[in-house]
Amino acid sequence: MTISLFIQSIFAGVSNGFVYGLIGLGLAVIFRGTRIINAMQGEFCVVAGMAAVVMLDHWRVPLAVAMLGATLLGGALGLLLELVPVRALQRRGGGDDSYLLLTLGVAFAISALILYFVGRDSLALPGVGGEATLIVADAAIRVHAIWLVIISTVVMFALKWFYSRTHIGLSMMAASIDADGAATTGINVPFMRSATFCLGGLIGGLAGVLVTPLTTVHYAMGLLLTLKGFAAAILGGLNNPFGAVVGGLTLGLLEALAIAFVSSGYKDVIAMSILIVIMILLPNGMLGRRTRKGG
Amino acid sequence: MTTLHYRSRRAVLRRAAVVSLMLLSGAPVGAQQVIKIGAVLSLTGAGAGLGIPEKNGALLAEKMINLRGGVKGRPIKIIIEDDGSKADIAKSKAERLIYSEKVTAMIGPSLTASTGAVASITNAAPMVQIACTGLGPQIELTYKKLFHVLPPQVLNAKALLEYATKAAKAKRIGVLHDSGYGNVVMAAMKSVAGDYAVEFVATEKFEVGATDVTTQAAKVKAANPDIVLVIATSPIPFRNAKQIGIKQPILAAVGSSSYEYAKGMGEFADEIAFAEFLVAEEPLPHQKEFVELYRKEYAALPKTYEAAGWDAVHILAKALEKAGPEADAEALATAIRGATQGVLAAYDFTREDMTGIELSSYTYSKLVKGQFIRLPFVNRK
Repeated sequence: MTISLFIQSIFAGVSNGFVYGLIGLGLAVIFRGTRIINAMQGEFCVVAGMAAVVMLDHWRVPLAVAMLGATLLGGALGLLLELVPVRALQRRGGGDDSYLLLTLGVAFAISALILYFVGRDSLALPGVGGEATLIVADAAIRVHAIWLVIISTVVMFALKWFYSRTHIGLSMMAASIDADGAATTGINVPFMRSATFCLGGLIGGLAGVLVTPLTTVHYAMGLLLTLKGFAAAILGGLNNPFGAVVGGLTLGLLEALAIAFVSSGYKDVIAMSILIVIMILLPNGMLGRRTRKGG
Repeated sequence: MTTLHYRSRRAVLRRAAVVSLMLLSGAPVGAQQVIKIGAVLSLTGAGAGLGIPEKNGALLAEKMINLRGGVKGRPIKIIIEDDGSKADIAKSKAERLIYSEKVTAMIGPSLTASTGAVASITNAAPMVQIACTGLGPQIELTYKKLFHVLPPQVLNAKALLEYATKAAKAKRIGVLHDSGYGNVVMAAMKSVAGDYAVEFVATEKFEVGATDVTTQAAKVKAANPDIVLVIATSPIPFRNAKQIGIKQPILAAVGSSSYEYAKGMGEFADEIAFAEFLVAEEPLPHQKEFVELYRKEYAALPKTYEAAGWDAVHILAKALEKAGPEADAEALATAIRGATQGVLAAYDFTREDMTGIELSSYTYSKLVKGQFIRLPFVNRK
């Protein structure tokens, strides 16, 4: 084990961890506001990533505009998800498992639509800072990955502030915890649910435009991203905005260090074994306890 | 050795005239006249990167064969089924083609596991099958009506090591491979490594579909190999290897040789070398006609798997021509056994591996600004 390899593993673990965390953050936002586990969170990323590539390559808009437009598209997709299938299912009294199955079905449908209309090509998007790389002791990290870490951290703190300090954030939480009680105080519960999905979609879209320059994007990667994000959110605690990022970082670093110190063949075995131990010791997630105290 | 493409102009015109007259006169070029060929290919799922180009190549072959008069004056019709990259679905689709559609012969599947599943059905039927895969499990050697238009993985392994040791003069080899296709080629490479006096200084595996393999690439880099072999069906390992600053030559196996992956590699693609079969930008004489037809039909350039689909249909059509459209499976298989020049490679279906492709059929290329450029290195016969 050289210093360079160790630092490279940390770089990989941190950047992957923030990718998992950002997707987990979107999942946690929707769960926090609606108690629904959204299995199509990864599809927000895929759609936004592809939309950014299309805007950049075909519409020739600047990268920043393409990224912003694609992120907003993620929000619109989240809103559409809530307004059409989720609300229809809610009217018919769907249970928690029904919502999971519904979002899973929509995820597969979107994946198939992308395959049909866009094809199976992996699409690449330039990163913030182009292809510039920061070298530390012969280990390399893309400047874009550093931006991913910074932006994810800002989003995480912004969400914490949003849920604890803003009227709409508090209303979203109230609508989630006790819908009937919130309605009696004048909170528009359906609007809050829509806003929650829209916010989840925005975060998913942001994840998409930040992840695509690092990994490329293709039609089949949505579910894989959802699973990693889900693991991150559960590990950190679904109820805490910090939880998903902390969980994602833990997962990313465990994977990277397992590869570096042991073997790439045993990466998942080692990472998942440690996660099982963490979940047994901290069943509410790594930050779950703090959430209950803080509300 | 014969060629799959050459026909005298007179013979072609005669057959085209027969088919045209039958069509114009309302003669029954219908159900009983059409020669049905079944195709089970992976059009969705993990194998779609193979199956879709194979389908394109096969449909172009069908079109050209029919335009040139069909097989003994009868048009061929390829009935394509998607196995979703799953062996159990491949098996049921093959059963439908054989027993409901009553096809004359079968091409495909695209994946080794599906090939085995379908071969068990075609062997029992019995029916000739030309798989768009290399030789799979040893049981396939007992299936005497199963042929392959792609090389066995041990040959892919040798093609990589030939270039690594003779062109790149490498002795210390680093390998970055996926857990599917890459795993199989890696196992084959270990089995023949003794013939090449090489040392695998780092062998790193990652899951199929992984979105980041930076740490694995860093481990390979840390071992300081003379060359890095990447065996995968994804652009990710190439991007990551270049991103972390691997400066050694990178050589990819045939599975990565596609315009789709080249596009995914983006600006990291330059100078990556490939062991493959078809450089459409600079086709060999026996590949020119196919490349030109493909470009006109699809407004794109073909690669290995498009050529595999084309060859599979042409080999079958040629055997049907020789044995007759009503020939039984044994007669059709006998007609296939022999040496023939395809677009993808020179085949010899008398060989034990049921393909007879030799290292001399491989060609080597490198990517420069999204284009494949042929490299001068060739394997001697």
